[in-house]
Amino acid sequence: MPAGHGLRSRTRDLFARPFRKKGYIPLTTYLRTYKIGDYVDVKVNGAVHKGMPHKFYHGRTGRVWNVTKRAIGVEINKQVNGRIIRKRIHVRVEHVQPSRCTEEFRLRKAKNDQLKADAKARGEVISTKRQPLGPKPGFMVGGATIETVTPIPYDVVNDLKGGY
Amino acid sequence: MGGFVKTQKTNAYSKRFQVKFKRRRAGKTDYRARIRLINQDKNKYNTPKYRFVVRFTNKDITAQIVSASIAGDMVLAAAYSHELPRYGLEVGLTNYSAAYCTGLLLARRVLKIRDLDQEYEGNVEATGEDFSVEPAEGRRPFRALLDVGLIRTTTGNRVFGALKGALDGGLDIPHSDKRFAGFKKDDKQLDADIHRKYIYGLHVAEYMKNLADEEPEKYQAHFSEYIKKGIEADDMEALYKKVHAAIRADPSMAKSTKMPPKEHKRYNPKKLTYEQRKASLVERLNALNSSGGADDDDEDDE
Repeated sequence: MPAGHGLRSRTRDLFARPFRKKGYIPLTTYLRTYKIGDYVDVKVNGAVHKGMPHKFYHGRTGRVWNVTKRAIGVEINKQVNGRIIRKRIHVRVEHVQPSRCTEEFRLRKAKNDQLKADAKARGEVISTKRQPLGPKPGFMVGGATIETVTPIPYDVVNDLKGGY
Repeated sequence: MGGFVKTQKTNAYSKRFQVKFKRRRAGKTDYRARIRLINQDKNKYNTPKYRFVVRFTNKDITAQIVSASIAGDMVLAAAYSHELPRYGLEVGLTNYSAAYCTGLLLARRVLKIRDLDQEYEGNVEATGEDFSVEPAEGRRPFRALLDVGLIRTTTGNRVFGALKGALDGGLDIPHSDKRFAGFKKDDKQLDADIHRKYIYGLHVAEYMKNLADEEPEKYQAHFSEYIKKGIEADDMEALYKKVHAAIRADPSMAKSTKMPPKEHKRYNPKKLTYEQRKASLVERLNALNSSGGADDDDEDDE
């Protein structure tokens, strides 16, 4: 009998709940709010059967484009043949987590706004651009002993070792 | 698991054991019910969903309006039956009538907090009939969902007494009259008179009369507090009417002055901090080495 390719095929381990985390899911998943434009990670919760995304989307991150009563509409990129399509799926909130991908950016934005405001108060112009790491400065190697190694002259008799 | 001789929990068992949620282990929260009560529609974003929480202890009744948040549940208002002496009710603080009073007190308190108390008077005269708030012009009534906790919802339970109090107080709580005291399963109808009797404590009054006639000693034992306060079976209705009126007049919460907790004697030594333990070690090593006679410079590096 050939293998089937059903909706949840090959998801035995993917959709399984982690060790010792079975049963009721903690309530913060239900208390979170999502707004359109937020980034969310799709992570399937095998304990809730409704509103599950297809296994392809497990582990993907996308933007919220719709909010309904119990589910979120997420727009995720999928590569089909040679192109990338923006797929819009609806997923129940149990299978969605807020993404931290923009967290660093938002924090940096807030900090930069603060720095710029301070600089404006002081009357100076600053650049808040991130600079890439340059080459490392030179340094003296500490605790090094110098051992000079030279090649020894080729000794025919020794190297053949009685095998000629 | 271990064999017959040593029935203990093996290491393997403990390693695989999954504990239930803390409040479930404590037997305090029904998570199945809680999920359904707290879940707010996502397209309502941060709009709070209020629960009308009623809990009974052996000597007290707690009624709260609570909304859930990730940090923890936030209590908007609370009413306890141990506040009822302030309104003139000093005995029977856990019966159906007291539950009604507590629910009523909470409802009036919440409406006052939300400035809805003029708009929504509720049912001023408690008749025991099924009463639901009508939405007035302007603001909609305060909506909450009944959270009974872990009690068995049988007809005539005191929880529904508290519910009736809150409804008559003016809260919008979705309900049916099926579980109020006085609902006849055969007629499938609420007998408003019987319910009214329970609200005004007349069921207790009847029992008091019964005991006083037939078993005076038991009456003295059981209703000793009532006798002390001079409450007779016939005073019940008037008493509760007064309490209801007093509650409606001033539902605000009284600030309680709490004394700072008493200092208790310590019977065990207090645990030292990391710095204190390091310092005491240095001291001990110094003392050892000075008595030994060797140098003690190295101790500070450790």
